[in-house]
This record gives sequence, C-alpha cells and structure tokens, in this order.
Amino acid sequence: MLALVDGNNFYVSCERVFRPSLFGRPVVVLSNNDGCAISRSNEAKALGIRMGQPWHEFRHLERTAGVVALSANFELYGDMSHRVMALLGRHAPGQEVYSIDECFLDFQGLPGDLVALMRQVRAEVLQQTGIPVCVGLGPTKTLAKLGNHIAKSAERKPDRYPASQAQVCHLGALSPRQRQVLFTATEVGEVWGIGPQVAARLNAAGVHTVSDLLAHDAAALRQRFSVVLTRTLRELQGTPCLALEDAVQARQQIKCSRSFGASVLDLPSLVEAVSTFASRAAEKLRRQASLAGAVQVYLRTNPFRTHDEQRSRTWTTPLARPTDDTQRLVQAAVRGLEAAYTAGYRYAKVGVTLLDLQAATHCQEELPWIASGNAPAPDRGPLMKAMDAMNQRYGKGTIAVASTGATRPERHWVMRQERRTPRYTTQWDELPEVRA
Amino acid sequence: MYSIFSAALPPGRPRALLPRPAPVAVLGGCVQAGFPSPAEELGGQRVDLNHVLIHHPEATYLMRVRGDSMVDAGIGDGDTLVIDRAIKPCHGHVVVAVVDNDFTVKTLWQRDGQVKLAAANPRFPDIVPREGQTLEIWGVVTNAIKHFCV
Repeated sequence: MLALVDGNNFYVSCERVFRPSLFGRPVVVLSNNDGCAISRSNEAKALGIRMGQPWHEFRHLERTAGVVALSANFELYGDMSHRVMALLGRHAPGQEVYSIDECFLDFQGLPGDLVALMRQVRAEVLQQTGIPVCVGLGPTKTLAKLGNHIAKSAERKPDRYPASQAQVCHLGALSPRQRQVLFTATEVGEVWGIGPQVAARLNAAGVHTVSDLLAHDAAALRQRFSVVLTRTLRELQGTPCLALEDAVQARQQIKCSRSFGASVLDLPSLVEAVSTFASRAAEKLRRQASLAGAVQVYLRTNPFRTHDEQRSRTWTTPLARPTDDTQRLVQAAVRGLEAAYTAGYRYAKVGVTLLDLQAATHCQEELPWIASGNAPAPDRGPLMKAMDAMNQRYGKGTIAVASTGATRPERHWVMRQERRTPRYTTQWDELPEVRA
Repeated sequence: MYSIFSAALPPGRPRALLPRPAPVAVLGGCVQAGFPSPAEELGGQRVDLNHVLIHHPEATYLMRVRGDSMVDAGIGDGDTLVIDRAIKPCHGHVVVAVVDNDFTVKTLWQRDGQVKLAAANPRFPDIVPREGQTLEIWGVVTNAIKHFCV
C-alpha cells in the first residue's frame, strides 16, 4: 500500500510556524522577485487569488482585505521540508521525496491499520514542525495521489466529500460503493497525469468524473487517447504501473534563472548576471557529479510592460569537451549572451541552462588531432573542489569568477525580496525572538 | 593551548628561525616505532554538543531571548534557547508560549485545575489565561546558552 503525504499550503504554513499573527489572515507567498502567488492560505484562496496570479493584479487586496504578501524564503522552506520528510520517512520502509512538500511512502508488507497510523503520524508532524499535512492512501501512486486530493478537499470544502475522509483518505480500505460515491464527486481533471488539455477532450467525449472514466472501455480509450491515459486508467483500477523511485535521479538539465529587480539595458550588467547564474549552475552540476555538453542562455523583456518593445532570445553554445569547470561554463554562457544580446531593450529576465548532461565517470575524450591547434586548458578538478569547499564553509560567493561582479557594491539586477521574513532556522543572526 | 609571549619579541613582526634557508631531509614511507597508542583500541569520540543538547533534531528550534523576566531561572537577555517541540509540556517546564501573537518564555504552572505562566523575576506578574482563552504552548525549553565576551 502506498501513501502520498503533502503539506497544506506548504510555504504559507512554514511562515505561520514562526509568525503566529498570520493565523486566520489571508497570506500569500510570492515567487522570486515578488512576481506571482506561489502559495496561498485558505483565506487567500477564498478571496479568489489564483495560483500563479501576478502580484500587481491583486496588490489592492493588501489594503482592502488585509492580505499579507511575503517574498519566498526558500532557506526556511527547505529546512522545514527536511524536518517533515525525515519524520515521515521513519514510519515506512520506503520513501520517495517527490517535491519540496510531498512524498510517497511505501508500506509494502506492513500489517495494521494504516489510517490510524497515518492519523497519528499526521499529529506527530504537526506537533513537532507545526506543518499540517494531508494523506492519501491506495494500492497505486495514482490512487494515493487521488486520495490525497480528496483528503485535502474534504477538509476545505465539507459539502463536497464526507467529513470522514478529511485529512486522511484511504481509497484501498473503502467498500466499492463508498469509492463510487467519491469517484462520482471527483472531476476527471483532478487525476494525476491528466492535464487540462486531455481533461477538456475527455469532457467533450462525455467523460466528466473519475467514475465516468472507470466505466469507459480501455481499448476504446487507447485508440482515441495516448498510452499514458491507459496507464493512468490501470492505476486507477488498482494495478500498479509506476514504481517508487527511492534514489533522487540525476537531473537531465540544470537551470538557473531570475527576473531582475529593475530592468537592465546594458551588456556589462547582463554579463554579471549570466556569470553568476552559470557559476551557480556549475556548482549544482558538480554536486550531482555530472558534466555539461552545452550551455544555453536565454534573455527576455518584461511581457507585462505592454508599452515596451518586446524581445526574447535563446542561444546555445556547444562545448568541444563536456566539462564541470566553472570558468569554461561561464565563458560559454557569456559568449552565448553576447550573441543573443541586442542593445536598446529593457531586459527583465535572463537564465542559464546546462544541457546534454552526462555522468562525470563516463566522459568521452575528444580525439587528439581534433583538439590540436587550440589545445584546451586542462580541467581543474582540484581547484573546483577547493572552490566549492570554501564557498560552503565561508558562505556563497566567497570565491567567484570575477565577471560575476561579486565585489562590486551595487548590482542592481539582484533579486528583489522586499518582503522576506528572517531565515529563522538556518541563520544564527536571524533566529526568532522570544520575550522574557 | 595558547602560549602568551612576553615583550621579548616585538609584536607583529615575523622573525626567521634560521638566518639562512636550511635543507631538510625527507624520508619516504612509514616508520614503525615506539609502542602502539593505548587509546587507539578504546576509540573515544570527542563530545559533540549537538548530541548533548539536541535529542529530537527534527523538532528542535533555536530562539533568541529579549527581556529579563526569567533572570531567576538563569535566562537572560541575549541568551539562545534550545526548544524541543517533541516533549509534552508539564508542570514546572520552562516553555515558549504564544501570548497575543508573540512568543514568550515562562515557567508552566499547572496545579489544582489552574494553569498559568510564571515569570522568574518578582518585577513581572504571572500570565493567567482569561476565561475561555486557551494557552498555546509552542515548545519546551531544554537548554539556555549564554554568550560571554571573549
């Protein structure tokens, strides 16, 4: 039996642990650079604030409805996530951490009442971390996910589902009739793996709810839709098709991008930003012991400033030899930027993506006669190792490539985070205060 | 251990031990000599404060103290508190409570059906919850760390 556990409104819940005054108020966490809503309290949802809605669209609610908007505090969320995941991982033989706020637990071979166990685990997580979670249980990942959706909705919208399913919903422990009631009340678009487009096509074909989908003929479904949907259907019927992935898989690409605090016109500032992002991506690359075969740079203007002239460009620079050397990656990124840059636009965002990743252990050496002429500088593995160790020990950016401009006092492209709360659990100088 | 030199050497001026560079012979390989260390087999681990102060790492948080209502309990302004949320609060525990949306540190007093938060300084009154008001305990204080000027 599998469980999917996730934190309710996770980022907002993390903020509330250390600021009790936020309970009962509409709270929103904004994405990097205070752009869009990425986490909303139930009170904020009730005001109609949508996921991903740009801040400038609902800014007026700050005054009229007492909305509290906060800049994302990812150091805090990351630490709270570690705490929650560690507590959850203790109760099951298998765990797959699926994202910062959700994980699958595998109870295979474990006897006992899983609903009772998960209610107790839920109380333990809430007590020890202050984070409320919801739990869905089922014989497959897709059913566990669906159970989680029902558990969450039953808590928030009591008219939709029976209150007994709130917080913990075990689809594998219900009678076929009870399951039928829940599936009839659940729209097909809520099923994991069915995106908005497929949901619209299903609706057009008369399939509106999960029970409609289950009543459908699998062979007919396979003909009209993709194999993925057939697999989803089999998972909904209780046949596992998706295995638990214990180990975190090495990423296929590494991306580092930000919107600017203020729009940027000049190339030197963009070079600083691109160098910084390439350095950060190189650090992540070395952490997963991979090499990159190509560097992609991307820059664009602000699409919300409709009166500005718009421009968006991507440039990929292939590398003669895959590398994890910061300096080579920064060089390639800056070369790409220079190719993609045209003066006269107000740039709002740049990004660096490392592509064509491969394990550092099976790197293909280039043929010597191709390399001859401009023999590339040897990779400086020990130097990179020393750089990572120093940056970890003495703080980010202690040692950096000079083109990042790290030593310049004013880098106006840096992120805007005007509303970030203190990093309560990861910075000695930012601990919460307690009155005595 | 630090040795503190007298004024014989001018402070801040490096001084060569030898007037000229001297060659030093380096031997490759290991040399087995003397007795084996008697401590080797006992394999003692150096004391780790994290192990001593923190029993439930996922449930442990740090907070900084502002104010002096707890001085008689040994908790002063600027101290750092270690708070364990896995411990069930009981009578006599020093706790962090939420009072009017602020964190406050007091001693939990729970006797004869009465609950209050007691200060450890005669200048501060106890906090008694009003009728119908619930007392929210955020966590139990297990240690206070004092910082001295060095």
